[in-house]
Amino acid sequence: MEIGLHHFVTLASLLFVIGLVGVLVRRNTLVIYMCLEMMLSAATLALVAFSRYNNTMDGAIFVFFIITVAAAEVAVGLALIVALFRRRETVMVDELKELKH
Amino acid sequence: MVDSLFYFFAAMMLAAALFVVVSRNPVNSAMGMILALVGVGANFFLLDAPFLGVLQILVYAGAVMVLFLFIIMLLDVDQAAKIPVPWTTVLFGLVLLAVFSGAVWWLVNGADALPTPENVSATPAALPGAENPGAFTSGAKSFGYSLFTKYMLPVQIAGFLLLIAMIGVVTLSKKQKQA
Amino acid sequence: MNAYYSELFSFHLPEVILTGGALLVLAADLLLGKFSSEPVRRALAALLGMLAMGFAAEALSPYLRGDTSALGQLCLLGLSGLTLLLIAGTSRLRHPAEHVALTLFATVGFSLMVTANNLLLVFLAFELSSITLYILAGFDKSSPASAEAALKYFLYGSVAAAFLLFGFSLLYGLTGEIELAELGAKLSVLPASPLLVIAWIMILAGFGYKAAAAPFHLWAPDAYQGAPAPSAALIAAGSKLAGMLLLVRLFAEIGFSPLGPALQTALALLIAASLLLGNVAALVQSNFRRLLAYSAIGHAGIVLLMIGIAPADPQMAFGDVLYYLLTYGLASVGAFGVAAVLEANDARGQKLSDFAGLWQRSPFLTICLLVFILSLAGVPPLAGFFAKFNAFYDVLGSLDSAALTSSPFFWLVLLAIAMSAVALYYYLQVLKQAFIAPAEETRPLRIALPATTALLFAAAGIVLLGIFPEHFLRLLF
Repeated sequence: MEIGLHHFVTLASLLFVIGLVGVLVRRNTLVIYMCLEMMLSAATLALVAFSRYNNTMDGAIFVFFIITVAAAEVAVGLALIVALFRRRETVMVDELKELKH
Repeated sequence: MVDSLFYFFAAMMLAAALFVVVSRNPVNSAMGMILALVGVGANFFLLDAPFLGVLQILVYAGAVMVLFLFIIMLLDVDQAAKIPVPWTTVLFGLVLLAVFSGAVWWLVNGADALPTPENVSATPAALPGAENPGAFTSGAKSFGYSLFTKYMLPVQIAGFLLLIAMIGVVTLSKKQKQA
Repeated sequence: MNAYYSELFSFHLPEVILTGGALLVLAADLLLGKFSSEPVRRALAALLGMLAMGFAAEALSPYLRGDTSALGQLCLLGLSGLTLLLIAGTSRLRHPAEHVALTLFATVGFSLMVTANNLLLVFLAFELSSITLYILAGFDKSSPASAEAALKYFLYGSVAAAFLLFGFSLLYGLTGEIELAELGAKLSVLPASPLLVIAWIMILAGFGYKAAAAPFHLWAPDAYQGAPAPSAALIAAGSKLAGMLLLVRLFAEIGFSPLGPALQTALALLIAASLLLGNVAALVQSNFRRLLAYSAIGHAGIVLLMIGIAPADPQMAFGDVLYYLLTYGLASVGAFGVAAVLEANDARGQKLSDFAGLWQRSPFLTICLLVFILSLAGVPPLAGFFAKFNAFYDVLGSLDSAALTSSPFFWLVLLAIAMSAVALYYYLQVLKQAFIAPAEETRPLRIALPATTALLFAAAGIVLLGIFPEHFLRLLF
């Protein structure tokens, strides 16, 4: 069977799903964050595939910006994780129970 | 040729992604993540977008993941690896994966779920003062052209986004002086 | 600079001014900060920030008539300006210049969200405001609670961004367009496909997070409780107003024409869950900020109810949402301001019992709190009542009167009215503490001038918008 749009979109959706499952089941914030990046990457793959098959440049350029934004977001996110680790000595979400009434 | 490459990279990417989710040690997860991101980059190449493929591998699999590894090493957390994973979590994960993957299969491969390329016309609006490069091309030139014409505003916003991230990281990580 | 660049520049002049202001604040602090004390630096930064806001508002003023999005931007500037006053008046945090600059950058993001006309700009503006707010939520470096709140806000926010992005990529894939207007035109002739439903549900999930609508609300109580008060106020007021105005525009431009029923059902479920969960969970809260968070979830339900009529009448929905969230934003900035003043004086002001005897300690603060809380509860003649009344009236008016009871929105309006009565109970609990409960602490409260100004403006805004709503609404319709 010829490789077509379906294949790429299925692949992107499966990557998104694996990332989402990782976010839901893992308890380590660093791994959760990696899975989040995986979800973003899945969206970029879908965009490039759509861009190729729709024959417009918009999707590909969208991806360019997503990569930039993700880099900025990673920096901030890791800074927050480090800041929390300095005060609480943990990266596990189960132990984040300071904020309850 | 393209077919077998696609299947190879797709299998590698999904296997690496699953490894990220199941691996107990964050360092192993990060390694799997790098492989998965390289797989995404390879797929960009297959989609005739070599510029984005290179960018993906340089920025994502390179810089971003090195940052991740750096933080993992810095925090040196391995207490997590010793806690046994409850079987309910494993079951929950498997059920979620099965349900979502089934849904994806049904959605994407159902009849008429996706438009075929023919029914989407590609007639982008003309830009003020310049003709539109429009159609999908693989060259980096069309990126450069678009970024400084149609996408001028997003480029500026992305630039300031990076500045904000820098300010934020500096203020968040600066050690509090004992007053 | 060619014609296209200068056109872009003048169209986005308010954002340019705000960005320039933020850079100026940073530069001034870098040059003068060494020679001055912390309070002076904070005052200088806030002053420059307020000036930038003023100039940006001035740049907007020619467009106010006839352009509702300019009015939306102006309201966002107002709410962010009040937050700046709170920073100047109540905050003891380090790095005041960065605090002010980031608030200005967040305002740029809000402003872009209101004017964005393609999916790429929508995504960038969404991320610009989100990333700034993550940093602001974690800005109190002395408190573990702040770091935890920021991390939770960040993790949920990133999930929302990923969902939003995948939804956008599906929309782009189905049409090949990212400009909202052309996207809408193409979507309207496309047959309803399951992929389109998924795309919209993913987008709703992304915006549900911004609005703190159930079941995407889990970050809200923690972020409201742990973040520094000015940041929490910004998250509650500005971010929500910008996000919901953007959602109205998305609904209006790319509407739900091919898949009315499916999307309406999803929206109705979201509304019902938010109304029920928010108001019921708020009943048992003993923490003032968590109470505000759960009540915010309830309010999000009402806002989504108004957004449900956006495809039928975008102009009306935009006006209603703007009026509702402006009054809500003023009241929540005010409420966070009152809590912040208490915290600045006593080092505690989170628990409801910390408000005991407020009337003896500061009648001014108590009167302000009374106005804010009663407006949130929707008691006439304050603006909150009029906003709610307007919302229910317009939603009912947009329904088909022959088949009224068959529409889910009719029952949702009834549910919202019933829940408003429930809400009255927990809001009165706050006032009971402030007016009746015996004081543990009797020291009179000291309120800094900027905080007084912010509270006065917020309270006056609520009273005036409530008594003379027609002056504001005339600008809208």
